[in-house]
Amino acid sequence: MSAAYLARRIAAILLVLLIVSFAVFAITQILPGNAAVMILGEYATPDNLAALQLKLGLNDPWYVQYFSWLGRMLQGDWGTSVTLSQPVKTLIGGALWNSGLLALAALVLVTVIAIPMGILSALRRGTFIDLIIGLFGYLGTAIPEFVTATLLLVFFAGPDYGFLPAGGFVPLGESVSGFLYHLILPVVTLSIVLMAHIARQVRSEMSDVLASDYIRAARLKGIPERSVVTRHALRNAMAPAIAVISLDVGYLLGGILVVEEIFAWPGLGRLMIFALQNRDLPLIQATTLVLAGAYAVSNLIADIVIAMIDPRVRYA
Amino acid sequence: MTQFSIKRRQLLAGIAAFSALPAVGLSSTSVFAQAAAPVAGGILKISHSTRVASLCIMQTSGAAEYLIGDMLYSGLTRMGMDMAPMPDLATEWSADTEAKVFTFKLRPGVTFHDGSPFTSKDVVATYQAILKPETASPARSVLNGIADIAAPDELTVVITLKNSYADFPLALTHPNARIFSAKALAGPIEALATQANGTGPFKQKTYDSARLTTLVKNEAYYADKKPYLDGVELHYFPDLAAETSNYLSGATDAMLEVQQADFARIAAAKGSKGQRVPSGRFVNIVMRADQKPFDDIRVRQAMAMAVDRQTLVDIVLEGLGVPAADTNISKQYRFFADVPETTYDPVASKKLLAEAGYPNGIKIPLVCSNRPAIRSQVGIAVKEMAAAAGFDIEVQTIPHDTYLANVWRKGNFYVGYWGMQTNEDAALTLLFTSDAAFADTAWNNKTFDGLVAKGRTELDPEKRKAIYAEAQQLMAKEKPSVLPMFQDVLTASRDVVQNWTCHPMSKNFYVEDVWLKRA
Amino acid sequence: MRELFRHPTGVAGVILLSLIAIAVILGPWIAPYDPQQFHTTARLQGPSLSYWLGTDQFGRDLFSRMLDGARATITFGLGATILGVVAGSIIGVTAGTMGRSVDSVIMRLVDGLLAVPDLLFTLLIVTVLGAGTGHAMLAIAVAFTPGLARISRSAVLSVRTKDFVQAAIARGEPRAYVILREVLPNTIGPVIVEATIRVSFAIMLGATLGFLGLGAQPPSTEWGLMIAEARQYMFRNPWCVAVPGVAIAMAALGFNLIGDALRDLIDPRSRR
Repeated sequence: MSAAYLARRIAAILLVLLIVSFAVFAITQILPGNAAVMILGEYATPDNLAALQLKLGLNDPWYVQYFSWLGRMLQGDWGTSVTLSQPVKTLIGGALWNSGLLALAALVLVTVIAIPMGILSALRRGTFIDLIIGLFGYLGTAIPEFVTATLLLVFFAGPDYGFLPAGGFVPLGESVSGFLYHLILPVVTLSIVLMAHIARQVRSEMSDVLASDYIRAARLKGIPERSVVTRHALRNAMAPAIAVISLDVGYLLGGILVVEEIFAWPGLGRLMIFALQNRDLPLIQATTLVLAGAYAVSNLIADIVIAMIDPRVRYA
Repeated sequence: MTQFSIKRRQLLAGIAAFSALPAVGLSSTSVFAQAAAPVAGGILKISHSTRVASLCIMQTSGAAEYLIGDMLYSGLTRMGMDMAPMPDLATEWSADTEAKVFTFKLRPGVTFHDGSPFTSKDVVATYQAILKPETASPARSVLNGIADIAAPDELTVVITLKNSYADFPLALTHPNARIFSAKALAGPIEALATQANGTGPFKQKTYDSARLTTLVKNEAYYADKKPYLDGVELHYFPDLAAETSNYLSGATDAMLEVQQADFARIAAAKGSKGQRVPSGRFVNIVMRADQKPFDDIRVRQAMAMAVDRQTLVDIVLEGLGVPAADTNISKQYRFFADVPETTYDPVASKKLLAEAGYPNGIKIPLVCSNRPAIRSQVGIAVKEMAAAAGFDIEVQTIPHDTYLANVWRKGNFYVGYWGMQTNEDAALTLLFTSDAAFADTAWNNKTFDGLVAKGRTELDPEKRKAIYAEAQQLMAKEKPSVLPMFQDVLTASRDVVQNWTCHPMSKNFYVEDVWLKRA
Repeated sequence: MRELFRHPTGVAGVILLSLIAIAVILGPWIAPYDPQQFHTTARLQGPSLSYWLGTDQFGRDLFSRMLDGARATITFGLGATILGVVAGSIIGVTAGTMGRSVDSVIMRLVDGLLAVPDLLFTLLIVTVLGAGTGHAMLAIAVAFTPGLARISRSAVLSVRTKDFVQAAIARGEPRAYVILREVLPNTIGPVIVEATIRVSFAIMLGATLGFLGLGAQPPSTEWGLMIAEARQYMFRNPWCVAVPGVAIAMAALGFNLIGDALRDLIDPRSRR
């Protein structure tokens, strides 16, 4: 992987972010209401509304609004949220950290559980275990997260026999155990669908690799089965598995919106939903850009990891 | 503690007395008979499901924001559970014979949370800020009857109104009319969204709008021995299932607002008690009186007869409310008049429609904003009930901001949702007079306008009662909108919490009276 | 198609989808009650002889509502996916057959759009257009288009080099003919596989939008909306949530299973 390739990928990411920012801006211009309407709600008298709109700069022509915003962003001034009266940067910083921890925990859980599950499935192909794992795989992808989240809330956090907290958040700095305790249900909800996907994928890859000539040759050579699986088969199955994980990060970022809303996890997803519902343009812009950027960067990281694991992959 | 009716407390004989004449300086009166003596200490954890977007009570209008504002800031007067004003930062007040010039005596020795003293200039600065349109304060409509504010000395404020208004001290209980320091108002108002500096029983400790706001006891609060609590925590749960679970498992001590669907379960749960506070909060069906088909009063009356009010209360409110007679003055208001309710009579309704020129009924879309959800629930229920009378209603649920931009005050048939107001004048001039701030029915009834104007300036309580009774009867007859029911305000707290309650207007909570009974 | 039945997953998928199809096509005739009609004396009841799957908070029959919602939900999922497939295929085939520069430009744009996760994209579009079934369907179709463009383009590229296509070009056949008769029929396979699986995504996305209040609006009987509204009554009558929940799971599962079986059929060694 060359430096030139990396540079081009990064340039592409920036271009994408620019397009996304303009698209989001264009979108909010077409909206029937604007932030002032939403802030004042039904208590908006025409002159209150006019005064607030003037104050928020909502009367300037669209290109003025867009380019002044862009200029400020590039200088590091991400503006102030119109509904929360706080700098966008502060709001996003904290939220990004919280969402990042959640996403990372989910990815770790998924990798640790789904990959062995997939391998087991492939090794025991056609048996009862394979069937169970397969069933779990299918069901996991057929139930929307908000249903899973609700079911988990009822069974594990219910008042009668629940033992986990029903949503909420304790900062890591305040109490590590409290933080982890509140992390469990949101992470499990997020992970279920991913685990289903990835287990299936790993199973399919492993099955193919295990049936290949390369592996047959290794077995004929007398290499112990354990070694065959871990050193030879796994290496080859990993790359596509990681590719799928990286694609699923996109799904993760979507799932996070719902999970954060239900479990009251103060992350980027919930911030974005709030921003959308209240037409808070600076906040919508910033959260969308950060989420899109995170997705693009995670794809890049995944590509790098794949290249490191699988020497057959070459990037021009 | 379940309250099914509000007892009226009259401090002095005569109803005019406690509005226009001096109220003797009592410190914030506790409206609860104490069985045991309050114990100091403890932290109260309250959960809420709407975000606290700002701490600046001058501008906010969310449920949790009213709660926080009530704890952080004080006004000149404060709304009591009996809909009469209590002394807060003003210990007594008096009016001239025309109820045009009001003199308020301020409480001495009060300090803001930052230690600076409270004086009359803070009152002047606050009211002037509210009157500026760019502040966008909902209290402006209450204060713009003011012609002049003067501060002859540090502990006196004299307010002169443009017109007589006997209920002016009551109007000052408006939750957005709380007093800020002149110093704070000299700076940018945006700073007040995150930094609170009031005279209320609690001080701001931390504020994270994404999940948790904490308050601590204001040691310098003017009421003796109060607040009892050491502090208050407000936990934000946007999802009701999570909020309810946390409350029931004991992680929080009180739920700010409970939904009708959950109330029975929460009230019956071990260690928890629910509270129903009857209130004047309502959902109404606006029928635009200057457009077809509702320009014909017979069609409006037919619509009113096509709604089964008690069933609406039973299925939409789970019985946690009362039917209403198409006026927005509920039993809690002082001058409530018992106007006969329109009964559900689809047959008569159909006949009336035919008389009005619609023998085959009317097909019409009913627009419901999606916030709060009760609007479309009412819409759907009304659709089913009115079908028998020949109304073919198509329920259209649209996003709240589209509704605000395109339908509100423009459409001819939609569902409105409003809270309770401070008094009859505020309630009737909210929506139904020709020059109402948010007029959307286009009823434009001169007789009604006249009655409301007279009621506002009249000083004799008996005469006011008669005037408002006539106004309510007119509303019930002409039906500018169908107002089928009043919603109870629902809240809940754990058994250990004493004196947690909510005012019918949902804007006052008297948290300084709350204490925790540890066994 | 006989092949399909040899796979147990295929069989399961077909069974599930047949049930769903019956609900969609015959729903209004099978339903014992009007899905919107209130039975105020029978609210929040469990299954009984008069109401086979119970009633909801307004006393509406859950079985009838589920049948009615089948139409709304499935046509939503199918509609959004078909729109996305058509749009995506047009773009992808154009990119794949039009040569380097056109291909380059189109794919840059597509990659840009792919950088936005599905739910996010849909949320943004629905916020602009406003909530509602039609807008949600459009939003999902737009969100699916880049992915499907990519897939159809890859399929076209891999077919292009095949012998029979080269032969047709060598024969001097006009470009349109080559595309229509040789390229397209052979790219349909992977596209259909992807599309089938995407229908289940569309259904779930629609349900999530309903949960967030941005998809179907009351009084629609779309299954996602039914679950969202029923959540607060969950403890009083779990059937309110279970009935639409199981229905969504069955539909999503059915499409998933068939999609997988189709993929195994069309190219036993293909992987995503």
